[in-house]
Amino acid sequence: MKWGSRLVISAALGLAGLGLHAEVDFNHEVVPLLKKHCTECHAGDKKKGSFSMNTRATLLEGSENGVMLVPGQVAKSKILELVVSSDPDTRMPPKGPGLTPAEVEVLKNWIKEGAVWTEGFAFKQPAYEPPLKPRAVALPAAQPGREHPIDRLLDEYLQRQKIAAPAVADDGTYLRRVYLDLIGILPTPEETAAFLANPNKDKRSVVARELLAREIDYAEHWMVFWNDLLRNDYAGTGYIDGGRKQITAWLYRSLINNKPYDVFTRELIAPAPESEGFSKGIIWRGATSAGQKPEMQFAQSVGQTFLGINMKCASCHDSFTDRWKLKDSYGLAAIYSDHPMELVRCDIPTGKMAAAAWIFPELGQVDATLPRAERLKQLAALMTHPDNGRFQRTIVNRLWHRLMGRGLVHPVDAMQTAPWNQDVLDLLANQLVTTKYDLKEVLFFIVTSQAYQSQTQILQRDADDKGYVYHGPRAKRLTAEQFVDAIWRLTGTAPAKIDAGVMRARDGVAIAALLAQPIWSNDTAKGKQPAANEARVFRKTVSLATDVTRAGLVIACDNTYELWVNGHKVGKGDDWQSPQSYDLTTVLKKGNNDLIAVGRNGGTAPNPAGLWVQLYVQLSDHKEVVVATDKSWQWSATLPNAQGALPAKTEWKPVALVPDVGWGEGESRLADQYAMLSKKTMLLPRAALMKSDLLQRSLGRPNREQIVSMRPTELSTLEAIDLSNGAGLTDLLNRGAAHLMQRTWASPQALVHWLYQAALCREPSPAELKISLEILGPKLTEGGVADLLWSVFMLPEFQLVR
Amino acid sequence: MNPLPGFSFDPDLPKPLVRREFLKQLAAAGLVTMGMGAPRLWGAAPKVIAPPAKADACIVLWLAGGMAAPETFDPKRYAPYEKGLDYKRVLSTFPAIPTAVDGLQICQGLERIAKVMDRAALIRSAVQPDLGSILHSRHQFHWHTGYVPPQTVACPHIGAWMSRVLGPRNPVMPAFINIGQRLEGVGESEELKAFTTAGFLGGEYGPMNLPYPDEAAAAVRPPKGMDTGRFVNRDREFRRLVDANPHRDQMSDYQQESMLRSMDNAYRLLSAKERAAFDLSLEPKEAQEAYGTTRFGRGCQLARRLVENGARYVEVTTEYVPFFNWDTHGKGHKMVEEMHATIDAPIAQLILDLEKRGLLDRTLVVIASEFSRDAMIEGRPGSKAGDQSFHKGTTMESPDHYGLHRHFTGGTSVVMFGGGVKKGLIYGATADERPLLAIKDPVSIEDMHATIFTAMGISPKTMFEIEGRPFYATVDGKGKPANIFG
Repeated sequence: MKWGSRLVISAALGLAGLGLHAEVDFNHEVVPLLKKHCTECHAGDKKKGSFSMNTRATLLEGSENGVMLVPGQVAKSKILELVVSSDPDTRMPPKGPGLTPAEVEVLKNWIKEGAVWTEGFAFKQPAYEPPLKPRAVALPAAQPGREHPIDRLLDEYLQRQKIAAPAVADDGTYLRRVYLDLIGILPTPEETAAFLANPNKDKRSVVARELLAREIDYAEHWMVFWNDLLRNDYAGTGYIDGGRKQITAWLYRSLINNKPYDVFTRELIAPAPESEGFSKGIIWRGATSAGQKPEMQFAQSVGQTFLGINMKCASCHDSFTDRWKLKDSYGLAAIYSDHPMELVRCDIPTGKMAAAAWIFPELGQVDATLPRAERLKQLAALMTHPDNGRFQRTIVNRLWHRLMGRGLVHPVDAMQTAPWNQDVLDLLANQLVTTKYDLKEVLFFIVTSQAYQSQTQILQRDADDKGYVYHGPRAKRLTAEQFVDAIWRLTGTAPAKIDAGVMRARDGVAIAALLAQPIWSNDTAKGKQPAANEARVFRKTVSLATDVTRAGLVIACDNTYELWVNGHKVGKGDDWQSPQSYDLTTVLKKGNNDLIAVGRNGGTAPNPAGLWVQLYVQLSDHKEVVVATDKSWQWSATLPNAQGALPAKTEWKPVALVPDVGWGEGESRLADQYAMLSKKTMLLPRAALMKSDLLQRSLGRPNREQIVSMRPTELSTLEAIDLSNGAGLTDLLNRGAAHLMQRTWASPQALVHWLYQAALCREPSPAELKISLEILGPKLTEGGVADLLWSVFMLPEFQLVR
Repeated sequence: MNPLPGFSFDPDLPKPLVRREFLKQLAAAGLVTMGMGAPRLWGAAPKVIAPPAKADACIVLWLAGGMAAPETFDPKRYAPYEKGLDYKRVLSTFPAIPTAVDGLQICQGLERIAKVMDRAALIRSAVQPDLGSILHSRHQFHWHTGYVPPQTVACPHIGAWMSRVLGPRNPVMPAFINIGQRLEGVGESEELKAFTTAGFLGGEYGPMNLPYPDEAAAAVRPPKGMDTGRFVNRDREFRRLVDANPHRDQMSDYQQESMLRSMDNAYRLLSAKERAAFDLSLEPKEAQEAYGTTRFGRGCQLARRLVENGARYVEVTTEYVPFFNWDTHGKGHKMVEEMHATIDAPIAQLILDLEKRGLLDRTLVVIASEFSRDAMIEGRPGSKAGDQSFHKGTTMESPDHYGLHRHFTGGTSVVMFGGGVKKGLIYGATADERPLLAIKDPVSIEDMHATIFTAMGISPKTMFEIEGRPFYATVDGKGKPANIFG
């Protein structure tokens, strides 16, 4: 194909943007006009003279007297004659003053322009009114091996649709999917190998349980979902003027302790100071329009997050698309407001005052006379009322969407629309209530179904334009955070510390203490300090009785260090205030292990120097080993070679402990990092706990100025450019390649096998192995490794959770 | 266009990653994200009434920070500095100078721009809402999106509207390019990011951000440290790896192919001859001198190269950094003097260059800022915004006090060149005595956007559905184009 023809796509894409530019505005001009004069008798279930304007289709059908309106043809549109008729018997509307000349003009122009009608608009939505209360679900008989209630319902659905049940995904696919979906990170090659080798029939549900029990990993993955949905972030608009408040610490603790969702919700609606950021909204300095006052934001946020209701329309005028009216949004807002609120319609005050009111009075009502705090408590109770099925359905639908790639109701914030399977939705909602609002249980319930464990649907196109039909789960794009976490972990390039102000431990879990003490050589005379730029080598031999399950190390040095473990160069650092953590799981082994660190002092005159190291090892027999810098370490003035090796006859002497010279802050960071890595899971920083950056934005992490319930599913061209040549990813890959080069690989093949296992949870095919080896070249180079990493990370298979 | 040194452009690129059978579908699907409730054009579009386009490309020269109209394009009563000078006596701190248009005067310091004002329509009656306690980034958000934050949906930048509705002029060129503004490490950067976006229209229409014009070439080059050979090779091997993927047929075609299409598009730009447009080092020396060495000057030169090569919307800013550039809360006169020097030659040169290349008639160049300034009145009469000048007295006791130090939203100048504007036109006027309010033909933000959109062939009533609601190019499709076109 030649250059020119390949440009076709982009050109067509450009043209796809041609807009609609009708001069008459249906929503703002025509709808009010028809409502005022016509729809009392000709919409909803009213069809006087067999004429209904309820939808465009019924309008065009005409009346018992024939066609009333022909789009684009004023002369053939009888409706225009009728509205201007001077005959009182035929004039429409029959009562009242009728249409003004200006209104007739609007109607005429509207018809002239083709009677443009908002897609899906009806004066009265006849179709679907979502049930409010929970509903019991009768389960059809199970097919053998498909007893899970979800499968019983879906098997019946598939039968009805005459669609074969999707085939089961293989173990590797399942494992990658369930890891990414539940804890957001990839299984390690060791975890994958163990799972694949496990003959246990229940292993899929067992691993799901294990993942949900990884409290920190779970919490940090779901921070992404909730930060989006509660528009919480570590930087963003509003913060500079105090117009916004984080709920980070509260959210993290809620997730790590698996707070029941009803309690969680009540704490957001009737908040303590630590969770009030959600209800406060985002305010920029200066005057705010009526529809975006904090109270109105509260109504919108509560409606959208917990009920999948769009109150944004109804914040300005009665909604055109669903049943919510201006007074409904103001009613919710007035519960929150600490002052009387006047209803403002499209920025024009109406003179009417808002009455605090809950939107589903069937469940009870808020007492508007109570103080604000009490009203909010009542609202919180009504929201989480056991009979509020809408609340339950909204969250389980969101979880289904996250796991299955598409909502039962979709988009997930359009909960006024019909689900494609009401029974499954209600089943999940009931499961939520049965398990006392335990979201982990709902997740477990879904992932243990055959439906979840099926192969993903193969989409031929941007489908669903003819209505959605379930064919199995859909592949999901990796979130920015999943993508970045995967790269950090695979390449050992995670940053040294997190931005989010959270303690990465469950409540009540003791934080492991920092035992490391600053050490230096003992040759400095009493009362003197180490010379500027003095280099000292420190060593410690660590003896391990069994194989290593997990291991990590934190290190800091005033001023710089280089670290080798068992002859591998692990890393170096030059900022004692930013201690660094390293994963040593694959580096440490049973038996004796050599830790060698070169510490260098800085400055131009003698000044304090110190090295801190603390190593955490979890052994395969579940015993823990902690090794920290103390008097047992040794030092030498002989420097190691490039492999970290020292001459055999090197003379080693005992180190000296350095008195504290005001390293407090660096030490506390060291303690924080050690606390992270000594938890049961290796606590590397996670992207979810970092401020957004260009790379994460390129991968679809949103600005959380608005509530985000569904992220873009597609990679844009600009994003692809960033991934192809952006400094962020390039730097990670280069550093990652350098890092991987330091490991010992039996052969280039070994590296390729490891990468495919670690990134894709499978072995490379022979063809892939061959190409990968060509990318690496005959001898491992940083460039070759970086290019292979890039090529694998750019594969759709990597970028999708399939 | 000069050939690109050091890069052997291969006109026969590797075969596209996207399979042929999907080309059509992907095109038809446009960039609508799958099943997302993503934006789509409202209704069945029975009739399109787009105004005839007067321009194909748009360059906005964004003088961020609040350019005082009386110090630039709307000179008023001038009084030179003297110690003890009463603020009331000063409306402008620069005297007026003649321009190429009879009867049109602008401020001293803009001599070169004065010479090209016969190609311009000068709007002197732009007005902004006061928005209470004045925050620059909030007004900048409003100017760039037409909507006042906070908003319930993420509002698209006007460049994104053009990208979405008009598409790229040249398929390999990003449609929306934003030059000169750092989005990290400057004050209010989160607020700047909030409008430097395609918002709900989706990332495909968002800006390519080039904060440093001299580094623009790097944005479309292989990554740092990678030579062309390795870059081409990496791409070739990647394509082979994609083809060798044993799961390719078991994965969703649509999702895979749309991802690969973007990778293709990216590679195409990074290998296309058009990428030379980003490389300012290819400009002849004389041309470089004409535009000067400031980032703004270099940015204007870059904008010209990009528009020549098919960019749709380019914005170049003097950059918003709180209390720098046009944000003249103190030492106003001196700071504006420096800004005059920053913008005068590059803007004039840009106009002349576009004209010389026959591009000016079809390129709309807009000079604008978020609001004007006054020495006395904050916001506009009746505003509750606090006094934002550093010096609170009523007389000027030091040269630092000489200048317009307060934000003023009641009357601002906007200059438009090309794009079919009436040449040498003065549109609207402000009062000659305080408050310097627009007193004739006021042009609101909606009107300003209607003017710009209409020139570009976009109706302000263009709307997209998002979350079941209509969202218009201007608020509720309002705004009347100012009568400035020939």
